Amino acid sequence: MLAIAHGELIQIFRNRLILVTMLVMPAASSAFYMYLHDRIPALDLGAVAAVLMFLVVTMGLYTTAVTTLASRRQNLFLKRLRSTAVDDTRILAGLLLPVTAITLAQVGVVLVVLSVVADPPADLLLTGAATLATVVMMIGLALATAGVTNSPEHAQVTTLPVLIGVLAVSGWVGFTGTEELTLLKRLLPGGAASELVVNAWNGGVPLSESLFLLAPTLAWVVVAVTLATRIFRWEPRR
Amino acid sequence: MVRLPDGGADGWNGDMPTQPVIEVEHLNVKYGDFHAVKDLSFHVGRGELYALLGTNGAGKTSTLEAVEGHRPATSGTVRVFGSDPRDRRGVRPRTGIMLQESGFSPDLTVRESVRLIGRLSRRTDSVDRLLGVVDLTRKAGTKVSQLSGGEKRRLDFATAVYGAPELVFLDEPTTGLDIQSRDALWEAVDRLREDGSTVVLTTHYLEEAQQRADRIGLMHQGSFHREGTVSELTRTLPATVRFSLAPSAPALPLPAVPQGDGSFLVETTGLQEDLRALLNWAHDHGAELRDLQAGPTRLDDVFRAIGSE
Repeated sequence: MLAIAHGELIQIFRNRLILVTMLVMPAASSAFYMYLHDRIPALDLGAVAAVLMFLVVTMGLYTTAVTTLASRRQNLFLKRLRSTAVDDTRILAGLLLPVTAITLAQVGVVLVVLSVVADPPADLLLTGAATLATVVMMIGLALATAGVTNSPEHAQVTTLPVLIGVLAVSGWVGFTGTEELTLLKRLLPGGAASELVVNAWNGGVPLSESLFLLAPTLAWVVVAVTLATRIFRWEPRR
Repeated sequence: MVRLPDGGADGWNGDMPTQPVIEVEHLNVKYGDFHAVKDLSFHVGRGELYALLGTNGAGKTSTLEAVEGHRPATSGTVRVFGSDPRDRRGVRPRTGIMLQESGFSPDLTVRESVRLIGRLSRRTDSVDRLLGVVDLTRKAGTKVSQLSGGEKRRLDFATAVYGAPELVFLDEPTTGLDIQSRDALWEAVDRLREDGSTVVLTTHYLEEAQQRADRIGLMHQGSFHREGTVSELTRTLPATVRFSLAPSAPALPLPAVPQGDGSFLVETTGLQEDLRALLNWAHDHGAELRDLQAGPTRLDDVFRAIGSE
């Protein structure tokens, strides 16, 4: 698994397109939100943190993971890896480990910068738990999306619904809260995780209530992984 | 299927050790309504070079993929080293697979690709030695995306034979290779076989199979049309004599089929006697047999016979 991850890391740093998608775009978007926060002091800091985290995770992890998996399948690299002694789970883990680690580091940097320029989170551990749950959910959604993605170019289309949907939900939930349409907002992908980040950053909500919000996010993980096991393909269509 | 006459219980005259490396029993592979492989059974013994040949769409790739463990059988059993070939941890460290198409990451270099796939195979070898074997030492630091088609095939071969596996699958190994590279590849295969490796080969170059295979499974429309040694496959068809004659030549001493271009084809099961008769006839009548060619049946002829059936 680590050998595959090492190979992937080399490829990420050799592919400018992936590098730009992964590093520059989330960083630029994050800088823009921080600029907005400076200009509009009334902007809810927890909501900004939630949106920033989702920006990095969707653009840095989700899109890159779908593109990577489609590309490796298209050039038969997945089949090549399956010709070795490594099982499928380790192959996928090896392929996704570098992009996941980079994303977690990015989220960490962005949130630390936000803490420094504004205020730190009220509950650091809960922020971490929300980030991890979101990352796992987006990996599951990436695997499922990769199942219907034929090529890296096709990924530009197939990733859009989840990318736009999750970003919209995180902004909607983050900035408007969940007092209205509570159930709908929490059940939408990213909704409960956004609320969790807002609670973790702003504080003032009992821990038990916040932890309950992990359940819908983990339910989305189950849904995504179930979908992925049904539709993920290791070889291009004949 | 025609299972050719032989002296052994399983259709092979060579030394068959007790436990075959590959055992395929009543294999069926279906894609929806399409029946790609139909009730196929064969064994491959340790140290054998077994060639799986066939017409286009005969089911070779589906069979090979089922034996390699890339595709589940719809029904029937496939055992490699006595195990299910999809048991990667058990089977793959003993197996090298050269795929029909490249399957390398374009942004990795040649050395990185061999090292990666080698490590994942759980065998040990020297990357530099292997690159020397396939004449890619000068390309070690080159990205795969910058290799020619032939160089990619050699890279593929290098990863398949990394650590000298006990069983090697070679799927169209010499396609796109120049003659020197082909010779080098077959030399490497010969060395592997001297060390006891078993080889399963598919190729469109029939002369390679004819020269090197211990046994051949000849597929047509999803099942074996024939299986046996080269001599077993070819001896069921007559040898041929081809020549051209001047239009004024007297009647021939044996049945010959005009080919329409002034040439004749004689099919014979007694090549030496019929050729002698033909040469004597030409000598006696002062006739010139132009472009005379005579030879035993080749695999090409067996293939053509399948197509005409």
